[in-house]
Formats: sequence, structure tokens, C-alpha cells
Amino acid sequence: MQSELPFNPAPSTVVHIDINSCFATIEQQARPYLRGKPLAVAAYDTPNGVILAPSIEAKRYGIKTGMRVREGRERFPGLIVRTPDALMYRYVHHRFREILGEYTPEVFPKSIDEFVLYVRGTVDIRATAREIKERIRRDVGEWIWTSAGIGPTRFTAKVAAGMKKPDGLTEINHKNFLAQYGRLELLDLHGINLHLQRRLWRAGITTPLAMYRASLQTLKVAFNSVVAHYWYSRLRGWEVDDVEFARRSYGNSYSLPRPLGAPEELTPVLAKLVNKMAFRMRKAGYQAAGVYLSLSYKNGAYFNRQRTLPEALFDTRDIYKAAVKILKMSPYNAPVKKLAVGCFNLRKASGLQLELFEPTGKKFRAMEAFDRANDRWGDFVITTGTMLETEDYVPDRIAFGSPLVA
Amino acid sequence: MPEKVNAPVSVSMSYDSKTRKVFPKSVIWDNRLYAVTKVGLHHKYREGRSLYHVFSVTTPTLFFRLVLDTETLHWRLEEIADAV
Repeated sequence: MQSELPFNPAPSTVVHIDINSCFATIEQQARPYLRGKPLAVAAYDTPNGVILAPSIEAKRYGIKTGMRVREGRERFPGLIVRTPDALMYRYVHHRFREILGEYTPEVFPKSIDEFVLYVRGTVDIRATAREIKERIRRDVGEWIWTSAGIGPTRFTAKVAAGMKKPDGLTEINHKNFLAQYGRLELLDLHGINLHLQRRLWRAGITTPLAMYRASLQTLKVAFNSVVAHYWYSRLRGWEVDDVEFARRSYGNSYSLPRPLGAPEELTPVLAKLVNKMAFRMRKAGYQAAGVYLSLSYKNGAYFNRQRTLPEALFDTRDIYKAAVKILKMSPYNAPVKKLAVGCFNLRKASGLQLELFEPTGKKFRAMEAFDRANDRWGDFVITTGTMLETEDYVPDRIAFGSPLVA
Repeated sequence: MPEKVNAPVSVSMSYDSKTRKVFPKSVIWDNRLYAVTKVGLHHKYREGRSLYHVFSVTTPTLFFRLVLDTETLHWRLEEIADAV
């Protein structure tokens, strides 16, 4: 039955830009001898290293993100593997931000390789998107392939960007949405995973077009929650995804290159993760009244514990102490292969509560100076003493927030 | 196969005031002169107080990753590889 809510007749204002095979593409841009070859950027170049980004050529052999290097080489023995160059990728991300910022003040980086732009008041949004793509290839590099999606909402633009890769330019709007939905499968819709697909199947919905044509009541039966309303509007081109949700936690995790068992080996790694996490949290203006720690052991055991704290913390050393307390609670005495630490119960850092015995204001200013130095001169220029001897662990991984360049 | 090097290297640089672009023109490595035919990527990063410019360049036979330390204005060769 055709629904009562029509597809949004407003012109498209959202452009979603996606760098295709981001890390691999940037490597191929920097190193022309890698172009046209199956390449994978992996966390480690050892057989168990996890592939973070296969090149477009590697994808043709079925090599996917998340596979082990070993699996990739089973599919294509000549697969070239490189470890990440975080500084280079971050620089390219910031070049994108600069270029996109010239077209609209409303640029929202969604990850290191995805950007959402609101382009309002333009005569021809497709021409603008085409120009952005050309500008990127001219100013960043001719091998930097991007896919652009255009639509009246974030969702339609994101789905459109995924429809043609690499180098796509696709629009979903009130004139063509039926034809465009007809080319998609349920899993192509951003937000539909295998679990939700099964739910939809049970309700007799097997395609995006059928999902669009389903009544709100049918969607309610399928989802059994308020998300039915969201999907009903989303598929009709009405915005329900432009909410920047408040941050609920900060965390860092790390797979150790070799399992570590002794506390004196683990704590410096933990300290480095806490340093990174606390820096990001303070930079966003938060403090945290909760800390969690997760450990995966080589023998398959898993330990996960969280502690709610009596007061919110902002000092790296205090968060580290709380994390170490949790570490000591683990009942396992075995080598650890992965650890994750995070903080939650976030509160805005304004209005520091003065403690009776701690010179909080002084500590706060010390941390501010600490962060300013690290922000200006690079991560870990100043660190806590607990981080000594971590040089070989926790290499710089991909984050995209800090420019690191003057 | 790429090879990590980390050695001082001689580089001739060119600046075009019209395009406002800077690029290495040639590299002298191991007593041989290599003319740069292409700059794959130029990026920057900071380490401590130093700002580094990284030029990933190709010559007809070799790929070079060159790093300019803007504090000392010294060049370092970080990596070489066959250009094809």
C-alpha cells in the first residue's frame, strides 16, 4: 500500500564524500609504483595482521577489510602489504577539510575518510559535487578517488555515495528515488545489518523498494520499536539523522604485537592508552566519573570490569590509577593479547568541584599546560612517567582529530 | 621491495612563484644523480619543535621518500624502492 507521507520534494542539499579504499589509495598516491596493484594496508605485515584497507585492485580478488593478511594472500599470493602511515593519512584528511571548507562552512567529518557537507543555495549541486571531486584530484592527488552521494538528507546522500565505487557521483531525490531504491539490496541501506535484515524478511520485506512501500504499521511490526518511525521518514527523504549525539564515552584499545603477561609489561601500555584517551577527553572539554577496562587473554579468557567513581576525573594520572585498580581485579594470570580502556559518565569540565585535600585548580592548570604542549609539538612530547618503556608498543594509529601541522 | 634507508641526501629544490608550488628537482644518492619526474605526495608533520616536509617522489628508475627538516634545512632519505 502506498504510504501517506510523500517523498520529500525539496531539492538536494547534502553531499556525502567518501574516499575510496582510503589508506590504500593514499599509499598509491604517494608511491606511484603501487598503483594498479593489489595492495593492503594492515595493522601488521605479519600473517595474522588485520587488513585495514584493501586497494580497489585487491578488492577485485575478494580481499576485504577485517581479513587477516594470511587470508588475503590466500586469495592473491602477490598481495603487497604495508603498515599504516598515520601522519600521512591524517594530513590528507586535513587537506580534504580545507578544500571542502571552501565550498561550505557546514562540513562534518564522519570519519577519517567520510565527510558530510551541507551545500545550500547552489544552482546545481551536482556541478558543485563534480567540481569538488575534480578539485581533490587536482590539489591532493590524481589517484585519490572519491565517491560522492547527493540527497535531501544525510541518509540518502550516504546511500547514494555507496552506489557507485570507485569514482561515483550519484543522487537520490524525489524524482528518481524509486529507480535508485530498485537497484539496492536491504544491506545497502546504511543502518540495516544482518539482524535487522532478518527482522524485515520475517515481515515479508525483502527489498528497499518493498520497505519503502510498506506501511508504518508493517514497519512497526518488523522493528517493534520507535526506529520504525525513523525508517519510515528516512526512506521518504525526510531528515532524522542530523542529530550530533552527545559523546558518552572515550576509549582506546590495542592488540599487542606479542602477548604480555607480567604487570610491569602491561602497565606502561595501559598508561599510553590512558594518556591518549584522557588527552582526547580533555580536549573535548570533558571529565569522567567512570573507568572501564577490558582484557582478552591468549587462552581465550576475557575480563571486563567498570568502576563508577565518587568524583569526576580529568588528570591522566588519576584515570590511570583507577584503571590499574581494575587491572588488579582480574582473576586471570595469563598473557594478554588485547586490552581496551575507556572512561564514561562524562561531564562537562566547567565548574570543577574543589576537593578538600587536593589542589584541583593547580592540577587542572598543569593538565592544560600538558595538553597544550602535546597539541602543539606532537603526541607524547610530555608524558606521565608511567609510560616509560612503551616506545615499542602502541604505535600511532589512525585518528583524524588533531592536525599535528602548524 | 621498498627499503628503509635513513641517510643524509642531496636534493635540488625548485619553487614556481606562479603556481606557488615547491618540488624537488633532483636527488643525488650514492654518487648518482636522479631527476625527479613526479611528486606522488607532499605532506607535513611535526615532531617536537621541528616541522618536517615529506616528499614521496619518483625518478625513471627509483622511488624516494625524502624528508626536509625545516629546523635545520637538512634532507634525509627515508626509503627507496624500484620505481616500477
